[in-house]
This record gives sequence, C-alpha cells and structure tokens, in this order.
Amino acid sequence: MPNVFAVPVFFICFRECLECSIIVSVLLAFLKQTLGPKHDAAAHKRLVRQVWAGVGLGVLICLIICAGVIGTFYTAGKNAFEKAENIWEGVFALIASIIITIMGAALLRVSKLRDKWRNKIRKVLDDKDTSKPVGGHFKRWSEKYAMFILPFITVLREGIEAVLFIAGVGIGLPATSIPLAAICGLGAGALIGYLIYKGGNKTSLQIFLVASTCFLYLVAAGLFSKGVWNLEQDAWVKLAGEGAAEAGAGPGSYDIRKSVWHVNFGSPLEDGSGGWGIFNSLFGWQNSATYGSVISYNLYWVAVIAGFVYLGGKERKEVVSDTPEDLSETSSSHAELAGKKTSEEGHVVESNIREIRA
Amino acid sequence: MAISLTSFLLPICLFISLARTATLTYDFDVAWTHANPDGQYNRPVIGINGQWPIPSIVATKGDQVIVNVKNSLRNESTSLHFHGLYMNGTTHMDGPVAVTQCGILPGSSFTYNFTIDQPGTYWYHSHVRGQYPDGLRGPLIVKDPENPFKGQYDEEVVLTFSDWYHESMPKLMSGFISIANPSGAEPVPQAALVNDTQNLSVKIEPGKTYMFRMINIGAFAAQYVWFEDHTMRIVEVDGIYTEPMDAEMLYVTAAQRYSVLVTAKNDTSSNFAFVGSMDEDLFDVFPDGLNPNVTGWLVYDDTKAKPEAKLIDSFDSQFDDFTLVPYDKESIYSNVDQSITLDMKMDNLNDGANYAFFNDITYVAPKVPTLYTTLSTSANATNPLIYGYNTNPFVLSQNQVVEIILNNDDPGKHPFHLHGHAFQVIARSEEEAGAFDPNNATQIAFAATPIRRDTVLVRPNGHIVLRFQSNNPGIWLFHCHLEWHMASGLAITLIEAPLTLQSQLSGKIPQDHWDVCKAGDVPVVGNAAGNTVDVLDLTGENKSPGELPAGFTGRGIVALVFSCLSAFVGMAVIGWYGLKPIEKKTK
Repeated sequence: MPNVFAVPVFFICFRECLECSIIVSVLLAFLKQTLGPKHDAAAHKRLVRQVWAGVGLGVLICLIICAGVIGTFYTAGKNAFEKAENIWEGVFALIASIIITIMGAALLRVSKLRDKWRNKIRKVLDDKDTSKPVGGHFKRWSEKYAMFILPFITVLREGIEAVLFIAGVGIGLPATSIPLAAICGLGAGALIGYLIYKGGNKTSLQIFLVASTCFLYLVAAGLFSKGVWNLEQDAWVKLAGEGAAEAGAGPGSYDIRKSVWHVNFGSPLEDGSGGWGIFNSLFGWQNSATYGSVISYNLYWVAVIAGFVYLGGKERKEVVSDTPEDLSETSSSHAELAGKKTSEEGHVVESNIREIRA
Repeated sequence: MAISLTSFLLPICLFISLARTATLTYDFDVAWTHANPDGQYNRPVIGINGQWPIPSIVATKGDQVIVNVKNSLRNESTSLHFHGLYMNGTTHMDGPVAVTQCGILPGSSFTYNFTIDQPGTYWYHSHVRGQYPDGLRGPLIVKDPENPFKGQYDEEVVLTFSDWYHESMPKLMSGFISIANPSGAEPVPQAALVNDTQNLSVKIEPGKTYMFRMINIGAFAAQYVWFEDHTMRIVEVDGIYTEPMDAEMLYVTAAQRYSVLVTAKNDTSSNFAFVGSMDEDLFDVFPDGLNPNVTGWLVYDDTKAKPEAKLIDSFDSQFDDFTLVPYDKESIYSNVDQSITLDMKMDNLNDGANYAFFNDITYVAPKVPTLYTTLSTSANATNPLIYGYNTNPFVLSQNQVVEIILNNDDPGKHPFHLHGHAFQVIARSEEEAGAFDPNNATQIAFAATPIRRDTVLVRPNGHIVLRFQSNNPGIWLFHCHLEWHMASGLAITLIEAPLTLQSQLSGKIPQDHWDVCKAGDVPVVGNAAGNTVDVLDLTGENKSPGELPAGFTGRGIVALVFSCLSAFVGMAVIGWYGLKPIEKKTK
C-alpha cells in the first residue's frame, strides 16, 4: 500500500483542492447573487463561463508544472543530487515552508476578496456600457476578464502550493506512490467543496477554513523543522562518511553532540513506509531530533503566532468603506440585510448562500 | 681430611650445567628513525640502537635474558612485552603498561630480567597503546638443544609477516576512536611485508630441509601464507611442538607463529615464489591500488628468473590449526574448576565513538597498575572489586583448571591472546554458530588431545572454548590482538593467585620499576582509583565514556512537550484570527 498511495500527498491535495473549490463556489455564488436572474443573464452566463475557463486552465497548467517538476526530480534530478541530497531536501523544505506560510493566511479572509471582486465586476459592467477606454489596453482586458483571471490565479497559486508541498514532503517517497494519492486528494477536495456549496447550512464554512489552515501551518512547521534537520544531517554524513549510512537508525546515524532525543525506532527514513513517514510529513517528526530541528520548530510557531496577532491587530485599526451592502459582511450582531437573519454560525458567507436559495 | 666425593663433584656438575645456560644482555636504545620498507613512502619508525628493522632476540632454552631499555623517543612512553613467554615468577617483567608496570617515559630506563624455559618461536613488541605497529616489534627465537625435530632439518630461517601503514599510529588511532568513525572501521594498511621488506630472496640449496619460523608481527591483517610447489610440514605453533602435519597454505593471524619444515627440491632449474596475502575480509573498505600481497622467492639459482606469484582461485586450502595435535599429547583438561564466559560485542558510547566490550565492559587502564594493587592490598587482593570496574578483572585461584568461553557477537574475525599461558583450544565453532551451548552435543564433542597455543582465531558470530591451568601466579591480560581493538577496550585482566604473588614478589620489584612510575607521577599503591584507605571505595577510578541514552531523556521529553505546546498555541491563534469577526470602524 505505501508504495502506491502516499498518505501525506493525499492530505495535501485534498486540502489545496478544497480551498480552490471553496473559492470557486463562493465566487459562483457571489456572481449569482450580484448578476442573478434579476440582472443581466447574458453577462452572468459569460462570467460564469469565464470562471470555469479560469479554473480549467489553472488546473491544466498546474498539472503540467507538477508533472514536469516531479518528473525531472525523480528521473534526472535524484541522481544528479544524490551526493548533496540532504542539502537539496533541506533548502527546498525551508523555501517551501516559507512560501506556504506567507500565502496560507489569505484564505482566512475570503470575505475581503468580495470587495475587490465587486469593484471589478462593476468595472466590467460599466465597461460594457461605454465604449470609452478605461486606462490602457491590458488594464481593460484584465478588467474584462477579471472573472477569468481571479480563479485562474487562485487555482494556480493553490496548485503551486500543492506542488511545493508534495516536493517537500514527498522527496523521500517512491514516485509510484504519488499519482494515485494526488488524484484521490483532488477528487475528495472537489467533492467536499461541491457539497459545501450545496449543503452549506450544515457546515460552518469558516470553521472548516480555519481547520484546514491550521493543518496547513502544522505541515509547514514540520517542513521548516525538517529543512533544518536535513542541513544538520548533511553535515553529519559528511563527517562520519560510510559509518553513518551503515548505522541505519541506530548509534552512529546521528551526531550525539547535537542530539535532543534519539530513539532507534520510528525513523522516517528507515521505517518511512509506515506511520512514521506520515508522522514526519504531517508533523515533522524525527526519531533523532537535534537542537536545530527542535528550536526551529518552536521559532516557526512563534513567528506564525506573532504574524497572526499582528494581522489581527492591524485589522482592528482598519477602516473599510461603508457602503450599505458592506454592512452585510459583519458578524451576527449586525443583521442589516432586510429581512434576513444571520445564521447560527453567524458568518456572512452562509447567509449569502442561504439568500440565494431562499 | 677426606674430602667427600659429592662435595667435590657437586660444584663441578653445577659449573657444567651453568656453562650450558647463558645470560644474554641486550642494551636497547629506543628512538625514532626513518624507513621505507615498501618502497612507496619514507616514514618515521621506532628503531632500536639506530637501526630498523629492530634486532632479533635469539636465546637458548634455559637462558637468562636481560634487556636494558632506554627510551629516547622524546614524545612517547614505551614498554616491551615478550609475546608468548610465560614469565613464570616474573610477571613484573611481562610488559603491558598499567597492568604490570608503568610506562617508560622519554629519558627513563628500565630493565627486563627473566629466564626463558620454553623453546620455540616468539616475538617481542611494545605494549603501550597502539605503539608497536610504528616499528617496535621483532622476532624472539628460543633454540632448543633437545628439539624433537633436531635431525630433520638443516637450517633455520626466520620469516616475519606484517601489514604496513604509511601514516603514524597516533594519528590513525585518533581517527579510529572518534565520533567521526561511529562504525569503528579499522584503518586499512597500505602494504604487506616479509622480514620488513618486499621481494625477499631466500637462498635455498637443493635437497636440504629448512625450518621456517614464521611470525605475524602485524597490527591487524591476518595473512595467508604459501610456498608455491612446496608443502609445509607444521612442527610448532606458538612455542608448542606439534605432531607433524602437512599443509598447502596457512592462515596466520596477527601475533601467531608457525614453524614449518620445507624440503627443497633436488634440482636448481627454477626459483619458486612464496606469498603472504593479507586477509581482505578484515578490511572495511578496499582502496584502489592496494596490493594485499607480498612476494618472496625460494632462490635455487640466482641467475634464473624469479617468477611472478601465480594467481589462485580461493583460500579454501588453508590449514585449520584446530586439527593439530600437540607433540606431548597432553590430554584435555576435563574437570573445569572455574569457568569464565565472555560475550564480546562492539558498540557506541556517548562520545559517539565505537568501542569493544566483554560482558558490556570496555577496558580502561586503571590509575594504579594492577600488579601494584595486588602487592599493596594484602588480604583484599583476592577481591575483584578493588581492581576497578573497567579493568574487567577476574581473580583466579592457584592450580585450577580455568575455562574461558568466548562468544563473538560481532561479524568480524578476531585473534585472542592470553599472557602468561598457552591454552588448550577445546572448541572453535564455524561462522554464525552463535554462542557456545554446553547442551549441544555437536559442540561438546571435544578432541582428546587438543592443540595448545597462545593466540587463537574466533570466527564471525561464532565461539571458542579455551582451558588452561592457573599454575603461574601473575597479572595476565587476555585481549584481542588486533591493535585497534586492544585500544578500543577488548581486554580483560586475570589476577592469578594474588596471595601467592604477594609472597613471591613483595619487596622484590626492582627500583627502576618504581622510578619510572615516579617519573610519570603514577600512583603505585592502593586500588584502581589509588585509594589506600578504603580499597572498596573506587571513587575517582578511570572509567569509560557513559552509555548512550536508551530513549527519551529528560531533555527530549521537555523538547517534545514544548514543541507540541507551541503547535497547539499556534493553532489556537490561527483559529482566533480565522474566526474573529472583521470589525470596522464606522464613523
């Protein structure tokens, strides 16, 4: 089983696809709301088609990039950097972790995107009515096709996140284990996203987003720690030479001077096909932890905590434009939309979706 | 007055017998010199009296030998051990530092004075940690006027076989026992030598029989030895005469000796090669360009060519020394009084380096040389505790049959050597046979007249059973004779008949023995920690590095808990951020 189905890859693809499908579903719902049957049906249909075109092209390009990166990695690449394997793994894991950390927070503010989208749609509609060019050629084009670009960029971004993740955690896994897991993950993510779109009042979308973002940061923290661990391991292997390889997971496979803990079982390298490999990919578990790997893990979380606290603090000071429609985006205590009570979950996205069905 | 005949004859008899034994005196000035025995690399070597290879000691049975050693090395202590000599009554002349003496410091002198009552082929070498492979080793031959094979050979030839390193031992040793060598890979030698040279020619006359006394004086490599087209007839091993047995090829481990009779051919039409081939099974890596063989020639006619040694297919024709029968046909010691089981293994300690263990203890030299502990602790000398933990001491009573069962839990071949005795080799298992099982019928089918020797091979993951009589009071080491493993602690100390030893040697240790201790500030009284007041208190004794932690230490648990905590706090913050309402300031 472990050789054809890499569980960490499944989880990652599941999460990324889920994010995409949530964004797409929110976008579609939003379009339906603003350009719904009461408004311009032709524009609606056109924009919906743009959305799907954007999604489709984004997926396609992601798949191509993914196949390309992983393909070269596993055929040419692996041999080329076998000697510096630990350095490559280490640096890659660190970079992947940093990028994902920065990008990951965005999903939690899906609602904020809606303002941007509203302005863009306004421009599209206005642009349709007048023949005056608004700004330059590209600007006009991008405004016209905003509904294409938005999902396209989102899907591309999530997809590249997924590729980075897979490369980061999957470097030690056999290549045959990735495709099936990826496909299952994508399928599961799309399915759940669709179900959320359809049966939204059963689930709390924002809680779901929070949970999946927590998971993302957990994996990124593990990746960061793993990156540091790989670099330290490279130094050790260079020092001890053959002896380190012969030692498996026992004494001699690690530098005792830098060790914080070591157990002879549970090595992601030796026993990686079992649960320990998954443990390593999801949480950064090492059977032989160093000062570097433990301290970097904790510092990562400190940085993330600081970052989120900062973002939260910053928001408190923000002034958002106060058009009446925007008041609908506040929490349950502000039920401004006429006749609409906000749901028990209390978040505007649910209430939007429920509006549509109502 | 009539002088009684006996009182007249007795002094004459004494005079005659004295005339037959001699006192040999050697003055050895040990100092660095240079040599290039393999023609590849000129390197510093330890020579004696300015010469290298060092001189042989040649004595006759019954001789008294006096060796005056002066250490002119300037940067290293030294000592000499006369390998294979029982040192009966003179254990303090045996040589191992921290066991029977202190190291002879640069500038100091020390005299070894002993009588040899055993004929055969032996060698002498430094017994300071890792020193002798730098050159301080040479043959020690004891001739026997009553040699049972006296009429059967015309001439004796000494052949020493050795491995050879280009780098000096202190550097190799620090690289060997180091965190950067966690698997304990032994350094691989650069060449093999015969008589400390290569391409040796031995002049042979047709029809004559030669006794080749062969000694492996190497640090590490065992050697396969054969003479092309000539059969060897084994007559002696490690100083014990054997029933003659023919062999095509010998396997000689480090420190072993074989005397073989080789009869020259009757024609001089060609010369014949003989080969010493290092056993590559011992080598961890096999570097390019290493020639594991050394070739010499039996030269019948030095105008003829010396042919290249022929390649051989396998070493299967190697002789199994277990099948030898001692010439005196001493029967097996069947009633064992004391049995010692030694389980050996190699493992890492918490300094990251690889060490060797007998029964989970790795040998570390004590603060007070073990012999001096025996001599200074009266009745407590029979208590093994006073000798320290890491000396791995065993106290033997006098005149008992002692058995050593050695189980090799390591996939390597090891030659084990006992000081002060030759042992009967009761059993030697095949590879992978595991530990000795006294209930296993095939393992206890012992020979009636087992061979005796002082250095024996144990096979990978196999076992050996040895028996000897504790009739030689003294402090005797039992250790692996691979110099790397001796240094990483594969040794035990036998304290044989300590009370008898006290009565034999108290007050008889020469002053220069105490002087070298004083020069090195080495304590000479008390237990292994130098404690004279309470000999059962070993605080301060020399110990090995500690064991590796078995799993999670306190530090590890704290780290793991803290990391989990950070993750939970982090996720809580994410949750807070994600779920918090996006407020606006309305104005």
